[in-house]
Amino acid sequence: MKIAVLVKEVPDLEAHVEIAAGGTSLILEKKRVLNYFDEIAVEAALQARQSIGSAEIYAVSAGNGTGMEALRRALAMGADRVIHINDPDLEGAGPLVVSQALAGVVKREGFDIVFAGKKSTDDEAGMVGPMVAALLGIACVQGVTALQIDGAAVTVKRETERGTETVQASLPVVLTAEKGFYTPRVPQVMGIMKAMKAEVPKVSLAEVGVEAVASPQVRGYSRPKVRLPVKMIEGVASQAASELVRLLRDEVKVI
Amino acid sequence: MAIWTVCEARGNDFSPTTYELLSQARKVGAEAGMETVAVVVGVESGLSDRLNGQAHQVICLKAGNLGNFDAGSWAEALCGTFSEASPRLILFSDSDRGRELAPAAAANMKYAALVNVTSLEWDDGQFLITRPVCGGKAYATYGTGESGCVAVVRPNSFSIEPGEIASTLVQTVEVDVAPGKVTVVELTPREGGKIPLTEAQVVVCGGRGMKARENLSLLEDLAEALGGAVGVSRAVVDAGWADHNNQVGKSGKTVSPGLYIVAGVSGAVHHTMGMDTSKVVVAINTDANAAIFRFADYGIVGNALEVLPAITNALRVQ
Repeated sequence: MKIAVLVKEVPDLEAHVEIAAGGTSLILEKKRVLNYFDEIAVEAALQARQSIGSAEIYAVSAGNGTGMEALRRALAMGADRVIHINDPDLEGAGPLVVSQALAGVVKREGFDIVFAGKKSTDDEAGMVGPMVAALLGIACVQGVTALQIDGAAVTVKRETERGTETVQASLPVVLTAEKGFYTPRVPQVMGIMKAMKAEVPKVSLAEVGVEAVASPQVRGYSRPKVRLPVKMIEGVASQAASELVRLLRDEVKVI
Repeated sequence: MAIWTVCEARGNDFSPTTYELLSQARKVGAEAGMETVAVVVGVESGLSDRLNGQAHQVICLKAGNLGNFDAGSWAEALCGTFSEASPRLILFSDSDRGRELAPAAAANMKYAALVNVTSLEWDDGQFLITRPVCGGKAYATYGTGESGCVAVVRPNSFSIEPGEIASTLVQTVEVDVAPGKVTVVELTPREGGKIPLTEAQVVVCGGRGMKARENLSLLEDLAEALGGAVGVSRAVVDAGWADHNNQVGKSGKTVSPGLYIVAGVSGAVHHTMGMDTSKVVVAINTDANAAIFRFADYGIVGNALEVLPAITNALRVQ
């Protein structure tokens, strides 16, 4: 059984972001980590291997000079090997090019289950997992919170607007991990050392047969809306509540 | 060259977000000199007369095995039609369904995909599409150039103007699709609100300051009085008082209602990123220095357990 995990390296959530003068670029504090949801995906791969008995687990990441932090974390957690798609044309690339690159490698390596995170914490698009599935011509179940593997099929649970769905799909399949699916293990010393020493093969977009097409260009950046300083409403609960209702109804007219 | 909107039913009408997309498509289409097309699939084609005036064309995709929503077969039906028409822009709602269909469309059409879209405009030969980046710390405006694009739009981003197109052409297209590869075996319905949290016009959210699971009913009472939905902070989910599905924040849902009332939440960045585009924010916290007040328009320093029922009461009485 071959298990692929798609991982992305993202800025640490606490990393500082500033808009550069002129609003045409971003200044990002340089602290990068394995995307939270992808960390869960790596754990899911490790747990899947445990339940089946044995499997080969490989992780893939795509970026322009980025991805090694994510891949080393996957190795440290227990992935057997990793592949880095490293190409200048991945700079600012949208989900289409990234998905084509990842699908290209996964197709080449072989796959029975492909795990990915539900979304990344920086871009939050959640497109790559299902786009890779579409490019591979296989099904995708997004937002998985529980998984059972029965031979060549899987039964998974996921949360939807309507409630908890239990679905079945045959392998091969892409499964994207939701918070709560597993708690990612903390790498142990042996894993960390193995990750630091590992040789990571690099491939370019051309080598996986991907033609880089221009993604939509950013024309400018802006700040989130800034609110006026808060207006505090005085009084005990009943007075403040009464005044609030009056404001919302008569002045702001939002109720 | 047209702007296409993939419609989504909600009960016996289309969802509010569908109407928002159609409205913005008409507005931007007029500026771009493009027509608008609404696509309806399967059993939802039965509602197509609701779309009169909303788009220039309505396309109903039908097949014997296209009934209720199924991601695989619906995606195949849509992609077949998209391939024939090559729309310049395809709009999806940011909903469970949108997130299943949009990636399939983008992959099949080899289109760029922009998600969490909060604004759509036309300028000088291209669409300008804005969305949050870096976890919402900044907004980026993209130019789509000449290429086709898929956009997944956040609810409550556009106003709904009356649909005044004189004559809407409705076409039914029989398609032939394979059954979906994923089978739903069981659905355990969620109790509670009918409005998905991300679409609600009013959200009442509680945090650690609610003190105990049973107090969450105070959130429900106020939400009901306002016709809104209930959200919770990560602390409440971690404490086991509510499930993750109602969580507002970084690892939960992003909401953008007209009114967001938040009680007993400190206002850490993890939470505020999930709600800071709400139009009006009211914060309630016992700590006058709580960070949440920096993200609020109105604030009440007080105990959530007293203030929330007081507001519910004031609504009923005033």
